[in-house]
Amino acid sequence: MKRLLPCTALALAALLAALFAGTAIGETSVSPNVVYQVLANHLWQAGYPVDPIDAGIIWNYRLTRTLVAAACGAGLATCGVILQALLRNPLAEPYLLGLSAGASTGAVLVGLLGLGSVALSMSGGAFVGAVAAFALVLLLARAAGPSSNNAQVILAGIAGSQLFNALTAFLITKSATAEQARGILFWLLGNLSGVRWPSVWLAVPVALFGLVVCLWHRRTLDAFTFGADSAASMGIAVRRSQLLLISCAALVTAVMVSIVGAIGFVGLVIPHALRLLLGPGHSRLLPASALGGALFLIAADMLSRTLIPGQVIPVGVVTALIGAPVFALILVSRRGRA
Amino acid sequence: MLPRFATLLAGLSLTGMAHAAATHYPLTVDNCGMPQTFAHAPERAVTIGQAGTEMLYALGLGDKLAGTSLWFNNVLPEYKALNDKVPRLADNDPSFEAVVGKRPELVAVQFEWMVGAQGVVATREQFNELKVPTYLLPSDCEGKDNLVGADGTRLQAFQVESIYKSVSQLAEIFDVQDRGAALNTDLKARLDGARQQLAGKDLSQTSALFWFSSADLDIDPYVAGRQGVADFMLRTLGVRNVVESTEEWPTVGWETLAKANPTWLIIARMDRRRFPADDYQKKLEFLHSDPVTQHMDAVKNNRIIILDADAMQAGIRLFRGLQTLSAAFASGKAAQ
Repeated sequence: MKRLLPCTALALAALLAALFAGTAIGETSVSPNVVYQVLANHLWQAGYPVDPIDAGIIWNYRLTRTLVAAACGAGLATCGVILQALLRNPLAEPYLLGLSAGASTGAVLVGLLGLGSVALSMSGGAFVGAVAAFALVLLLARAAGPSSNNAQVILAGIAGSQLFNALTAFLITKSATAEQARGILFWLLGNLSGVRWPSVWLAVPVALFGLVVCLWHRRTLDAFTFGADSAASMGIAVRRSQLLLISCAALVTAVMVSIVGAIGFVGLVIPHALRLLLGPGHSRLLPASALGGALFLIAADMLSRTLIPGQVIPVGVVTALIGAPVFALILVSRRGRA
Repeated sequence: MLPRFATLLAGLSLTGMAHAAATHYPLTVDNCGMPQTFAHAPERAVTIGQAGTEMLYALGLGDKLAGTSLWFNNVLPEYKALNDKVPRLADNDPSFEAVVGKRPELVAVQFEWMVGAQGVVATREQFNELKVPTYLLPSDCEGKDNLVGADGTRLQAFQVESIYKSVSQLAEIFDVQDRGAALNTDLKARLDGARQQLAGKDLSQTSALFWFSSADLDIDPYVAGRQGVADFMLRTLGVRNVVESTEEWPTVGWETLAKANPTWLIIARMDRRRFPADDYQKKLEFLHSDPVTQHMDAVKNNRIIILDADAMQAGIRLFRGLQTLSAAFASGKAAQ
């Protein structure tokens, strides 16, 4: 515990450095000095004269994008920790419960039915779809057996995902032209380009909320690592905690999916990587995963904007391309030690 | 300007200018690498794609149409009455059986992905097995590889000659070569007129950006890259496209576009409402309210041209689009 203060300071410093780098590096080149001036103008009215287009790009495009990348990375990694602990399955990840599949169906429906111009944006559709899919999966898992049985939840999640993926494919083949399908695909692969301040005000509090709820239940999560039965024997209200934590993970994931699409890999790999490095205790694993997820997604987004000049690669592609080898490296180098 | 095709054709049929050669059948046309043979002028044709449909209307062949499909927008107003009488097989891609069920003697197709090697409707071979000749508009096959990329990939920049070619080949197939020649003369006159309007004007520092739509309003927009029809329009008028991608409709971030700061913004107007940004009003709203785009020169000086999306497709509407653009570039004021 005496290392808590320096650790927190170090984590905050890393996060701030990453946020600044994410704001300074982008599609076009803006000198770090201008970046500093724009930030100073907004944060403490420094009053430097800057080009309004540069100022807008820094403050409204890049900073928002980086903040949302951080929130999303933190949120998804936290959800990954929860689900892996609760379900005791190494393959558990935030999209396991049918959320990304439901989100795509929702977004496609909005796009194809032309609801877009009326009431619901594609993001709104994605959120509704994700929540609907999650509700269906929960009902299915409940109908299939006692909630302490992890296999039921996982199988229900797979069934739900398959159902909603099939629905999406059906809708696209039925009514979309190639151009529309491409638009939807582009969105589903994970995209941070549409992010502005309102998304920040949604993503950051939700990610923090998820993290705080989980930290509150860190002992419960520790207990669940040994199975629901041992958790029960330790006096934990198994059913209630499980439902609460899973719903919390689902809510956080649904919000993130609706803002940026389905960015894979973060929620699966970051918790594993940090568990290998730090051990299974949740009081350390949870904040470390949140920080790791945030840094990882900021870095991935930076690469997605700069890897091919003049073109943005879907960030989900980058997370997998970079994340998979890094994870493999950690797995191999920790062999025999973990 | 709008009803010119119609009056032109009415005039033609009255005076009966039969100077052009009559077609000799059987006629074999080499079309996109596949020779198609016609024993006589088709009596019943089906179209897949609005560009071909309107081209046939412009050739005065509306009475030969047994069915249309793949619509993007409302038909040109001067053909509405005619079009109302022709059965619409599908708004989108029609099924193979719906097309051949009309017993067509010609299927005119706008896009290769409808009837190409991985044809959505069927392959051209499948049509030919049933002795149904197909005609694919050359603008979608010449210098274009449709097996690469979602919308195909142009290997060479779009050539306007491909449109003149489709007009004269369709006219030959239907034995109305005089009408084809007259239509091409009219189209070329429009193109020349658009160019002449800008004669003597220095446009070397003028640049433009075509914004088609966006999957979501704030997200990276679909803009016209090099090689496509939209870029051809700018090249014809001597204006530089700020987007350098060779993809036909790439997505490019607003950061890059705002920094490129084009002199003119050209935004697409369409009837489609799949995405919020399909509505040109929403596009305008975005441009004026977004914290970055509102500072672009084109937005501050209201140099925003609203152009029909069909004018950016390879079809007869492109020539009207050229006239709209040149009028705006010439006056320095946004036209609609």
